[in-house]
Amino acid sequence: MAILEIKHVSKLFGGLAANSDVSFEVAQGSIMGLIGPNGAGKTTLFNCITGYYPPSRGDVIFKGNRMNGLQPDRVCKLGMARTWQKVRPLAKMTVLDNVMVGALCRTNSLKLAGEIAMEQLKVVRMEGKASFLAGGLPIGERKKLEMARVLATTPELLLLDEVMGGLNQSESEEIIQLILDIKARGITQMVIEHDMKAIMRISDRIVVLTSGEKLMEGTPEEVVSNQAVIDAYLGESHI
Amino acid sequence: MDTSQIVMERSEKKAGGKAAFFSAELIIAVVVVGALALFPGFVSSPYTLHIMILLFLSTINGQSWNLIGGYAGQYSVGHAAYFGAGAYTTMLLLQQMQIAPWFGAIAGMGVALVVALIVGSICFRLRGPYFVLASIAVAEILRLSAMNLKDVTNGAEGILVTELPALTIAGRTITDFSSKVPFYYIGLGLVIVTVLVTYLVQHSKLGYYFQAIREDQDAAHSLGINLSFHKNVALILSALLTSLAGSFYAIYVGFVDPPTVLGLDISVQIVLICIIGGIGTIYGPVVGSLVLVPLSEALRSNLIAESIFKTGLVSETSNVGAFLKENLAHAHALIYGVLVVVVILFMPDGVLGFARKLIVKRKGGRG
Amino acid sequence: MIVFSQSLLSGVLIGGVYALIGIGLTIIFGVMRIINFAHGDIMMIGMYLTYELFTLAGVDPFVSIAITIPIMFLFGAIMQKVFINRVLNALPQNQILLTIGLGLIMSNTMMLIYTSDYKILTTDYSSSSVNLFGISVSEPLAISFVITAAITALLYWFFMKTDTGQAIRATAQDREAAQLMGINVKRMSMIAFGLGASLAGTAGALISPTYYIFPQIGSTFTLKAFVITVLGGMGSILGATLGGILIGVAESMSAVYISSGWKDVVVFALFLLVLLFKPAGLLGKSRM
Repeated sequence: MAILEIKHVSKLFGGLAANSDVSFEVAQGSIMGLIGPNGAGKTTLFNCITGYYPPSRGDVIFKGNRMNGLQPDRVCKLGMARTWQKVRPLAKMTVLDNVMVGALCRTNSLKLAGEIAMEQLKVVRMEGKASFLAGGLPIGERKKLEMARVLATTPELLLLDEVMGGLNQSESEEIIQLILDIKARGITQMVIEHDMKAIMRISDRIVVLTSGEKLMEGTPEEVVSNQAVIDAYLGESHI
Repeated sequence: MDTSQIVMERSEKKAGGKAAFFSAELIIAVVVVGALALFPGFVSSPYTLHIMILLFLSTINGQSWNLIGGYAGQYSVGHAAYFGAGAYTTMLLLQQMQIAPWFGAIAGMGVALVVALIVGSICFRLRGPYFVLASIAVAEILRLSAMNLKDVTNGAEGILVTELPALTIAGRTITDFSSKVPFYYIGLGLVIVTVLVTYLVQHSKLGYYFQAIREDQDAAHSLGINLSFHKNVALILSALLTSLAGSFYAIYVGFVDPPTVLGLDISVQIVLICIIGGIGTIYGPVVGSLVLVPLSEALRSNLIAESIFKTGLVSETSNVGAFLKENLAHAHALIYGVLVVVVILFMPDGVLGFARKLIVKRKGGRG
Repeated sequence: MIVFSQSLLSGVLIGGVYALIGIGLTIIFGVMRIINFAHGDIMMIGMYLTYELFTLAGVDPFVSIAITIPIMFLFGAIMQKVFINRVLNALPQNQILLTIGLGLIMSNTMMLIYTSDYKILTTDYSSSSVNLFGISVSEPLAISFVITAAITALLYWFFMKTDTGQAIRATAQDREAAQLMGINVKRMSMIAFGLGASLAGTAGALISPTYYIFPQIGSTFTLKAFVITVLGGMGSILGATLGGILIGVAESMSAVYISSGWKDVVVFALFLLVLLFKPAGLLGKSRM
């Protein structure tokens, strides 16, 4: 069952086609990797999917419902959440309050939101920093905070945008474990990542974008042995 | 009790759960309110009461602005629009139709609501600085309209009403407004209302959402927050309370004209009160008022000039002395300007934020 | 018909001066992304400077521009270096508040020095008129327009043909990239602010023969300058030019056909309409 269907999605900015006729499906419960060189249109696609802006052409179908033109807050309430390539902590609020904002998506009770938030903080192992100001955290913890926050919205589909960007080896490993745990909880994920090793480990399938177009799609093994992909990534591969 | 349970309990308190109800904060607040309520019984000097009323007005304005500016992060520099809406509506209804000001104030809130809805629908799609400009433009349109619609508002001459109807409930006269005392209590009441509203907002889902919008609008949007709805709620709350302040001002002073209640000066002052005290905090506007009002009065009443003369640094009869005596009284706008510059450059989180940083440094870095 | 063409032409002429104020503001915004709320007050200082040069030294206001431009440039550069520079990375709201504070300091200091009495600068030709295309218009206005056109042409040459001008444009387009290319962006910011200030001061000098001079005149012009730059697109010099002329005409027409009390309301209402329907400006761009 495909939880997300991307059908011939294009996004044009003036004359520039950031996404061109992209189509694929994401199976429920799976992890879909989204890779491509810088400027390939990966984040643009995420933005179209989550309603940050609407696609110029094509359809975004989530759980059978057409999502085009829905505002980001509606998208979140319907069960799709995303993290940001450049982390966006709510700086002057505490770690706990940050996650509570996510939890309040599902409840009006501050008490319940607090409980949900603490649970998510435990999942990312940051419960000890609950009363710290988010703005003072180092990058690794900001990324974890963003994940906890987005998990608190109880998503069915989670879109992770370079969530390992700027992290060291052990921090990345933690995130990978987190992603696998999330999968075990039944949440579908789409992951944009430059770290090839990580993508190979976690993805069930991978979509490759270059210059706004879908180059190919397949299992990690298929993608890694595809000549066109190797060419597109010349000099950038970490296989 | 293991660590996670302790942290959970502490964070529940932070989250504003019922556990916090009988905190030290509440006790102090009750004591202060009690003292303020008894104050007129001990102090009868009209001048002192006047200063207290000014303090109350300033606090009410600051608290109201804080909701939209401090918590939701939308800096309206046109709040005079709501202040003036309340002031003018109350005075007009009183003068033209002899409608008692307590009903006039409610009508004033209605007018402020309409203005807020208009501002919200136009201005909230605009980011930061554009919103500031638009809010100023709306206030200016109202001020100029008040100047030009002479048949309705008496234009630049303003509206003067010195006789207020007595307040009677069930046939008993509560007050005839002949002294400052009833105004003192109205002011105190409004302060309590605005502080309470701020407290309730801060400890509710609304408060969390407002702050999220302030911190990062796009992130907030993607977390399920309806930006336009919440910004409008914040603005409407703020506008209604500011309009009450305007109505109160109008009946206390007895005179309104366009520059006094609809001018850019008022809007800037209102923002200043919060900036100086500390935006987005419950008591920031109180602190800001405690700084601005005495300073303003001290300047106006030549207190500062006289103190300088007393120290002997400057002689009263010298050129500098004469200059000071002549002009310091009018210098409060200049001092406001200097204060803004100093605060923005050195204490952008206001006095309270500055103090908080000092305390946080001592506790070792936790929020 | 005569009334129409007269108010139209007057509007265009005064619009030229408005354009100058708007260009200054838009340069500052383009380079530093700062909304300078003290812009009108800087203009006011230019007016008083012109007044003093005229009263004390008998220098004709249009001639004194040669002195006003460098002095105001210096004034702006110093203001930028001492105050504005420190908030380049602060919240936009705080930046605006800082400039509001600086504006308050300027206007109230002038009030302490000069009191709020209106001053009038009368030259021999203050009330003369000149015949343009068969229409009679105020002579000082006509001269202002010519000077404004000359300054705008000079500015164009500066930005397109000189190294510094191009460096400023680069800084406006992409501050980081400009820095990476070796441009001293701090210096560019200072120059941009100085430029903006001298343009505002010059506009003040140009209108001093025809407007009352008093300390509070700044705030009306600041707001108008914003309307102009938003209309034309923040950061666009061409936009500010067109916006200035548009606002000049709108004002002039409103003063004649509605009333002078309502003309500012028309301007502000126009502003809100633009914000509502075309926030990027009528030209639809926001760059230099």
